[in-house]
Amino acid sequence: MSKPKIATDWMAGCAGCHMSLLDIDERILQVLDLVELRASPITDLKEADETGVAVGVLEGGINNSANEHQAKLMRSRCKILVALGDCAVFGGVPAMRNFFTIEETLKRAYVDTESTVDGFIPTDPELAVPTKVRAVSEVVPVDIHVPGCPPSADVIFHVLSELAQGRIPEIKDDNLHWH
Amino acid sequence: MVKVKIDEKELEVPEGTTVLNAARLADIEIPTLCDHPALEPYGGCRICLVEVEGARTLQPACTLPVFDKMVIKTQTDKVKEARKFVLSMIFSERNHFCPYCQVSGTDCELQNAAYAEGMTHWPIQPNWQPYPVDASHPYFVLEHNRCILCRRCVRACAELVGNYTLGMEERGSNTILIADLGVPLGSSSCISCGVCVQICPTGALIDRWSAYRGQTKDVTTTKSICVGCSLGCGIEVIHRDNNLIKINGDWDAPINGGVLCDVGRFLPMDEKRSRIVTPLVRKNGALKASTWDEALRVVMDKLNPLVGKKDDGVASIISTRLPAEALFYFKQIFKEKINSDMVTSTEEGRYTAVLSEIAADKGSFESKLSEISNADAVLTIGLDLTKDHQVAGFFVKRIIPKGVNVIPVSYEASGMDGFTPYSTVINRSTDLEFLQALDAEIDGKDVSSLASKAGVSVDQLAQIAEILRKAESSVFVYDAEFDSKKKKETIATLIKLAEKINAKLISPKGKANSLAAEQLRLNKSFELNGHQAVFVALGDEEPSQNLLKKLDNSPFLVVMASYESALTAKADVVLPVANWLEYSGNYVTSDGQVQKANKSLQAPADVKTSEEVLLEIADRLRMVINPLWNKAIKMETSVIEID
Repeated sequence: MSKPKIATDWMAGCAGCHMSLLDIDERILQVLDLVELRASPITDLKEADETGVAVGVLEGGINNSANEHQAKLMRSRCKILVALGDCAVFGGVPAMRNFFTIEETLKRAYVDTESTVDGFIPTDPELAVPTKVRAVSEVVPVDIHVPGCPPSADVIFHVLSELAQGRIPEIKDDNLHWH
Repeated sequence: MVKVKIDEKELEVPEGTTVLNAARLADIEIPTLCDHPALEPYGGCRICLVEVEGARTLQPACTLPVFDKMVIKTQTDKVKEARKFVLSMIFSERNHFCPYCQVSGTDCELQNAAYAEGMTHWPIQPNWQPYPVDASHPYFVLEHNRCILCRRCVRACAELVGNYTLGMEERGSNTILIADLGVPLGSSSCISCGVCVQICPTGALIDRWSAYRGQTKDVTTTKSICVGCSLGCGIEVIHRDNNLIKINGDWDAPINGGVLCDVGRFLPMDEKRSRIVTPLVRKNGALKASTWDEALRVVMDKLNPLVGKKDDGVASIISTRLPAEALFYFKQIFKEKINSDMVTSTEEGRYTAVLSEIAADKGSFESKLSEISNADAVLTIGLDLTKDHQVAGFFVKRIIPKGVNVIPVSYEASGMDGFTPYSTVINRSTDLEFLQALDAEIDGKDVSSLASKAGVSVDQLAQIAEILRKAESSVFVYDAEFDSKKKKETIATLIKLAEKINAKLISPKGKANSLAAEQLRLNKSFELNGHQAVFVALGDEEPSQNLLKKLDNSPFLVVMASYESALTAKADVVLPVANWLEYSGNYVTSDGQVQKANKSLQAPADVKTSEEVLLEIADRLRMVINPLWNKAIKMETSVIEID
């Protein structure tokens, strides 16, 4: 039997959850014994296989049209979708901007910033369209929520090793932290 | 007793017990948020819902009293679903994103409740309506976005402190915590006691000093007592790496039951004085850093020739903030060994000396502070419990809603005026005339001339007399600092009046060890007279203007002190000593309870405790110190029985 495939992707987050994934250190070899890591921000392949993967992992919330596309693509190609980290689970730190309008936040970022001279809000049609920051579950159904900012390496290892062995991980007690 | 069955556990509990408390007796945990042991049950948050056999719907455990043969289930699917639903609704109401919240980690009761239910996420996102942040208060911040509307703060402000500053405005999702009629906290009637901050289950009320400086898991907690005044409130000193992080009221403390005033909770955090970290000796007119050995040698060279000189030797003063041990050693050194006629305390017996005189004749006559909560009428005279000994003021204020009539008598408007219709302003220094008038009024005699002297109307006197006459367990809270010429007579009149209407007498006295100093008779009015040197054991007390004036012309001045002050600037030798957090020692409360303050912080390297310094001086005087302070404070009759 071939090894189950895992793909990961990164949306509106800080990459900290993927850093935390790398923090499982040499245990990543144990994980790789059991699964095949396909597309991810840390491998060359950037999109989950068209033929599908067993597990899709998403870090970050969904804050524009491009993220929305990423999330829908991952959902359509994976059997089990994991929302990894507080941004994917709740919206997280980026969701702080939801208390303001998009116009206000863009103006703050591109015009009002103290270090900006002659700033303007970019309007290139190729750019993704910003939206309110949403948790992944607001856009596509999520099977497993792994909160944490970031989830610790131990929690990530627990989740991956359970999935690799065909079990749905339970996240509770010491593994449950929203930070 | 009634029989109940909770999750298959059968037990008997007293009638009237709530389901929540019955479950606690059975060691069954029911989650709560709005409930707090120090407050009346409220039933606001609905997280404690349980299934009761025969009941149509789930019932809140915190407010529901048990009935006989009640069958309660706390762990059914229905209950668990309801809990999660309630939590989801709370989380989605405002900004409850944990990563950037001060209490996230171990200190948030909302987060802990979600963890206990194994919630990995919440199903409904908030509606992103921003709420204001009120940062107008000097000691804490009110972050409405973190508020879960449990009203613990509102109830604590009312039930525990009796101040009624906090309340709620609007309805539904617009409900918002307000101070007074919607003014910023900083300009409200808030008295900064901080009980609301201590009782808040989330990060909605954040104390400025302790915020982000460590949570329960990072810090050490030392139970101790507050030395801000003589009530002896129990506190928890929270510290980390020898830094003071926060002071909380000790919920288990018998005296205060968790509440504190701003003097106990926030003042020590706001310490701005400079610390003295090394002995100082005056050389060529200026204070220079020195060693303990040199400094003590200079002190002993001065003291040794003065041993035995009664009125031209050493005058000495000790702070009543210092522990009983230090007070007793001090007395032995300066009174018994050196034989000086001027050995006293910084309080100079102001609040206590006359009480001892009366007690010597008629025995102990005061009652415990806790009697206030049993009172059906309270008269306060000679003090303002909203300024000093504030926690006693909380005790008085919080019984007013129970229908207790409170009569504060003072020379000017006081913080009590808004809470009782019986505030009475009398002419300055006419406490005696007022009490005589009241006494006469109770006897049904003519009071017009006395009343006009005191500046009160006869009608007002009649009203007060009526209240006191009707009361079955009235309490007089007084301060012995009446007009000095009439002091003894005033107190005698007060006692006579109390006896007549069977009232209990309570006086909160002065600083932390006021009564211990009095029992050691360190209670003289200080006069320099012909003394050639002055020794002041100041500890961490700030010297009063009065003391500074009296010490203006000291020929030679030794000061033991923790902080730089106008007094240390004048000293010839300064001996650096530990502050109140840096030693353990015993204190006698104003109502005679002996309590131990526990050391929580380590003093700087070259700083000794006052006790150590006094023992060192005793040693150099070749005298043996009697350590039995607890016997010594009971040698004389006390105004109140000492435990």
